[in-house]
Amino acid sequence: MLLSASDLTDLATAEGGPSLAAPEALASLFPQGRLARGISIGVMGSGGWSLAMALVGAALGDDGWMVGVGLEELGLVAAGELGVRLDRTVMIETPSPDTWATVVAAVIEAFDIICLGPTDYIGHREAARLSARAREAQALLLHLDGGRSWPHALDAVLTVHPRHWSGIGAGHGHLQSRLVTITSTGRRSMAKPRQVDVLLPGPDGRLAPAIADDLVAATGSTASCENRELVGGEPDMPPVVPGRAGTSRAGI
Amino acid sequence: MAGLRMAVVWCPDWPAVSWGVPLDEPVAVMAANRVVATTPAARAVGVARGQRRREAQGRCPELSLIARDVDREARLFEPVAAALDAITPRVEVTGPGLVGFPARGPARFFGGEQAMAAAVHGQVEPVLARRGHVRVAIADGVFAARLAARAAASVGQSTQIIEPGGSSSFLADLPIAVLEMPELTDVLSRLGLCTLGLFAEIPGADVVGRFGRDGQQAHRLAQGEDDHPPDLRRPAPDLAVTWAFEPPAERVDRCAFAARSLAEELHADLLAQGLACTRVCIEAETETGEQQMRLWRHQGTLSAAALADRARWQLDGWLNQGGGGRPSSGIVRVTLIPDEVVPASGRQLTLWGARGSRSEDVTRVVARLQSILGPDAVAVPEYRGGLSPSEQLRMVPAAAVDLDEERPASVPQWVDEPWPGRIPAPSPMLVQPDPQPIEILDISGVVVAVSGRGELSAAPHQLRGAASGTIVQWAGPWPAEQRWWDPLTARRRARLQVVLDDGSAHLLAIEHQQWSIEATYH
Repeated sequence: MLLSASDLTDLATAEGGPSLAAPEALASLFPQGRLARGISIGVMGSGGWSLAMALVGAALGDDGWMVGVGLEELGLVAAGELGVRLDRTVMIETPSPDTWATVVAAVIEAFDIICLGPTDYIGHREAARLSARAREAQALLLHLDGGRSWPHALDAVLTVHPRHWSGIGAGHGHLQSRLVTITSTGRRSMAKPRQVDVLLPGPDGRLAPAIADDLVAATGSTASCENRELVGGEPDMPPVVPGRAGTSRAGI
Repeated sequence: MAGLRMAVVWCPDWPAVSWGVPLDEPVAVMAANRVVATTPAARAVGVARGQRRREAQGRCPELSLIARDVDREARLFEPVAAALDAITPRVEVTGPGLVGFPARGPARFFGGEQAMAAAVHGQVEPVLARRGHVRVAIADGVFAARLAARAAASVGQSTQIIEPGGSSSFLADLPIAVLEMPELTDVLSRLGLCTLGLFAEIPGADVVGRFGRDGQQAHRLAQGEDDHPPDLRRPAPDLAVTWAFEPPAERVDRCAFAARSLAEELHADLLAQGLACTRVCIEAETETGEQQMRLWRHQGTLSAAALADRARWQLDGWLNQGGGGRPSSGIVRVTLIPDEVVPASGRQLTLWGARGSRSEDVTRVVARLQSILGPDAVAVPEYRGGLSPSEQLRMVPAAAVDLDEERPASVPQWVDEPWPGRIPAPSPMLVQPDPQPIEILDISGVVVAVSGRGELSAAPHQLRGAASGTIVQWAGPWPAEQRWWDPLTARRRARLQVVLDDGSAHLLAIEHQQWSIEATYH
């Protein structure tokens, strides 16, 4: 279900019309805690792509479709871990300069969420036309380059400020979760600057709300980091068995 | 009004027969771990359609299993359909193994239905060459004829003729499940309507009121009428779509792409006029002017994907036919003609919550983009086992899958076995298509290496190259050897996770003493 009955009553009162679900941990970033359809959002900072995929994962619901244009580098395994349904995902190779606008115009008609990579081939007038068409078709445009290459104003820009990785130390553990601060700036209903601390990704790979302990660990001295390492200090991978290396082997 | 006099020619167990297996050996054809067809020998020991592999093997330990190949079934069925061209030009293929045609004309020509049935046997049996059986049934309406053919098979008769006007009484005693509409028949049998006769007695208006369009269709079938009332059928408008090959196509993959584009186009044209297709005529012309034509019928209406399948099967059947049937040159033109249309009544099965129309829109747009950008430019991800982030997924051209259907390879559970040496989740969000070379230095500025035992020569301190910075946290290395048994493709790598002072985290790999950035935790 994309919308429950209570969502529908919310919609009647919401100013922006129909909307998509937002991840619960990010609800405070958006008016009514939901993502309006038909707007353009840019994501910035190291971690911006994870934020975009977390938004997609929650917003697609059971019936939505996502398309990525010009995003050959997007790690879809990670996107799947953040909740994106890959059976509802289509990827389009970076189109040639003269087909960019055609491709975007076409996908707006069918897909709920369109993730765009950087392009130098969209002029101001084309961008304005496509944004207007997306609003009409109620498709959400996500600019994974922060909108820098999009010559038309975005409705909101979300910036990820990475703060602290946990689970990893000096030679042991592995990357587990990352505490980030996300700030939003924008216009119209998104004009009010907002900010939230979350784990992106959280310990299970998904987006999770930050709890007090995470904040203390990040702001505290190195000592608190070392405490963490003592608790979680067991290396996750077994050491190489010496017997196997009895014969001398060349380096890797 | 009863349906038209129809003849049905059925080759039972076609999925098994098409593989050429002897019918006296226990063989089951499997799809998605379920039995979809069996030989009579397997049925005799309790193997049945719908069983899981383990269950079937439990009933019959010596059972041989074959994976289903629908394309092959369709390709090998074409000679059977072609053999019937000698009886009537109006052969309609319903699916591999099943064809029908209006019986009145040919029966008059051959001097009676019995004689015509004998002629059909005479045509088809040499083609089958004793590998399978053939059943012929004639009745009022396709549905009754099909069930009569099934009844003939179950008692071992080769021909079954239901006299004109006798279809409804023939159907009355059959169980409701033969409608093959599980959601509907489940409800009906719980209402106590266990046979078609009991269901047929209910006034049609009540059935429509409670079960909608599908209920109405089922009700018509149960009464021995055709699924679509004759007055609803319209002469098809001139909506033929044509694809010209330049150069002529001799391989089926080119035909498949054309079939898909044509099917999308035809389906969109029909929808724009509020129509749906129940029977399509597929025509092909070769370079030397040979022409071939075949009708395909569908019980419901043909979706774009179903149209594309049928066109592909047909072209595959012609191109790969053995003997004299094979065209002497490549195909230059393919035409799809909607031969029989009904008003489109929205999509089927909406009453029981079929999929939303979103995926149809998506399918249409994807087909359009493929015609602009080329078939490989639009792809969908599928999971597969692998070590590095770029190996864990592969991109499949969207033309090769049906976006309307469920795709099990695109859900994470597809790869359920743990993959040794894989770095635990979370996975990196930015995967470099071409790994960027990089240098790792220790605190005294010496390059860090990994020994044959998978140990670092020193603690990494500094990253230099495609990304630069001081390393504040790191983990690994995780050594991985792949395909060590094959010297040509063997790879020895080790991976390292690092967090730099600017907060960015990367996955590095070393191979042949060269470090590179494989991916970034964006």
